[in-house]
Amino acid sequence: MRLIMPALIEAQDLTKKYGSHVALDHANFTVETGRIVGLIGPNGAGKTSALRAILGLTAYEGRLNVLGREPFRERALLMRDACFIADVAVLPAWLRVDQAIDFVAGVHPRFRRDRAVGLLAKTGITGERRLRELSKGMKTQVHLALTMAIDAQLLVLDEPTLGLDILARSAFYDALVNDYMDDTRTILITTHQVEEVENLLTDVLFIDKGRIVLDSSLDDIATRYAAVAVAADNLDAARAGKPFHERRMLGKVVLYYEQPNLEQLAAWGEVHTLSIADLFVAKLSGDAA
Amino acid sequence: MNTTLWLVRREFWENRAIWLIPAVLGGLLVLASLFGGYQVLGAVDLATVRAVVQAGALDGMVLIAVTFFIVMSIYSTWYLLDCLYADRKDRSILFWKSMPISDTATVVCKLATALIVIPLLYFALADLTTLIMAFIISVRANSYIDSSLWRGGLWLQIQALWLYLIVTAAIWYLPVAAWLLVVSAWARRAVMLWSILPPLALVIAERVFLGTHVIAGQLSSRLGGYFSHALQYTPGAANWVTTEIGHDTINTPVSVIQFLNPGGFFSSSDTWIGAAVGAALIAGAIQLRMRRTEI
Repeated sequence: MRLIMPALIEAQDLTKKYGSHVALDHANFTVETGRIVGLIGPNGAGKTSALRAILGLTAYEGRLNVLGREPFRERALLMRDACFIADVAVLPAWLRVDQAIDFVAGVHPRFRRDRAVGLLAKTGITGERRLRELSKGMKTQVHLALTMAIDAQLLVLDEPTLGLDILARSAFYDALVNDYMDDTRTILITTHQVEEVENLLTDVLFIDKGRIVLDSSLDDIATRYAAVAVAADNLDAARAGKPFHERRMLGKVVLYYEQPNLEQLAAWGEVHTLSIADLFVAKLSGDAA
Repeated sequence: MNTTLWLVRREFWENRAIWLIPAVLGGLLVLASLFGGYQVLGAVDLATVRAVVQAGALDGMVLIAVTFFIVMSIYSTWYLLDCLYADRKDRSILFWKSMPISDTATVVCKLATALIVIPLLYFALADLTTLIMAFIISVRANSYIDSSLWRGGLWLQIQALWLYLIVTAAIWYLPVAAWLLVVSAWARRAVMLWSILPPLALVIAERVFLGTHVIAGQLSSRLGGYFSHALQYTPGAANWVTTEIGHDTINTPVSVIQFLNPGGFFSSSDTWIGAAVGAALIAGAIQLRMRRTEI
């Protein structure tokens, strides 16, 4: 028997306008419990607007339900069960690290102080330091320690590793997967570094010009899309097979197909599955040439 | 309740000037009383000196109270303009908003910090300053004034005066404070300018287009009319004590309490119309706080 879990985030016709600029244009998507979802899109696609709406930081049109709540009206209640890092290095400069821990421990019912202290001990940042004295990477580590010590059902991360060196990045994602993630938690993450999170994600949402252009699990992507490096002789036949994207690579022509007939593709050339980055470029750079 | 305490504590962490300014002010006054010169009026008898000191003690205490009050007003204005603006400017609002604290709680806490917590702190430090100064002066001038500088009854009256001023000023200046919060939650830059320009524009527009000056009158009575609403002047021989020193006379009130006018203040429609306008502006500031994230 399959246990049916209600969607954690449900957006219907989510729309956000800034004057005449439409940042979100009737976006529809759902996020299920226990998933790690990547919200991926080019700059200005509406990623930040979508996150801000989900977190109750901005008013919006359309219907949006997060953890059974209406984010904009019920942000304070929502923040008991959801936490976020919207952009890095936003901890106030005047705050001391121990004050930050005291404050969150004081106001957040789900904050586990020992956990935050433990995470910080690993970084070697001491409590009496003020945030203004710390490097950007250290600030991010303090913020991550605070956030990961909160037992939240939903964690939203907006470019969480911006400004971190490569060791800190990989340590962060290891901690996220090994220490933080379990069946009851859900993570929504945006990043420019698609390759970095690719083997972490269970689902992707592609957003472009305020609309969701792909909402899929990674398993589905593997079966639903394929690319063929087509030999020159077969090019016309392959093009007739309705690829949705075409690009030239190292003198070969690679054609991208949705719902492919794999036997057919294999006859045209070398078939491979798509990485998220491949699919992202293919989906967002327009129709087949 | 617990959250409220943390929010107020947070304000003290961020704005150390809340307690630094009155502490430094008190320290300077104490230093002045330690090292300042004093002069006894010519060659008069001790009884006269004591009379002068008794009469002057009230002036001294009121002067200290007024000094603290003026400094506090200036600081609180700056605080209110800055408190919903600073975290938008440095983007730390994104951290504060990730906490399970409503925007209503945030705005009301900052308002209460400005109108209640800061005044109580200034009150306590002014009190402490007065006591230390009185002690120092008593010791330094012991041979002249004995222990006559300590007037317990007067001291209690000053406490009552302070508490009355804190409560009535909080109500009277509610619309002003709330307006400053609206500007602080709304402006993208130049909060000081934005706090002044719209009211000024209204005053000028009214004058130019209607030829009247109702708004100007309302604004000036709000900003300058506090003391005339909250306090009263009570002439009449029964209320005053006259001390004669040579050819001079010093008039001191029998009690400071006679200057308080709670009946007049709380029954004035100006008081409650102002409070209602203040409440509406606070609601506006909360809505702005919910909608505006960064600059």
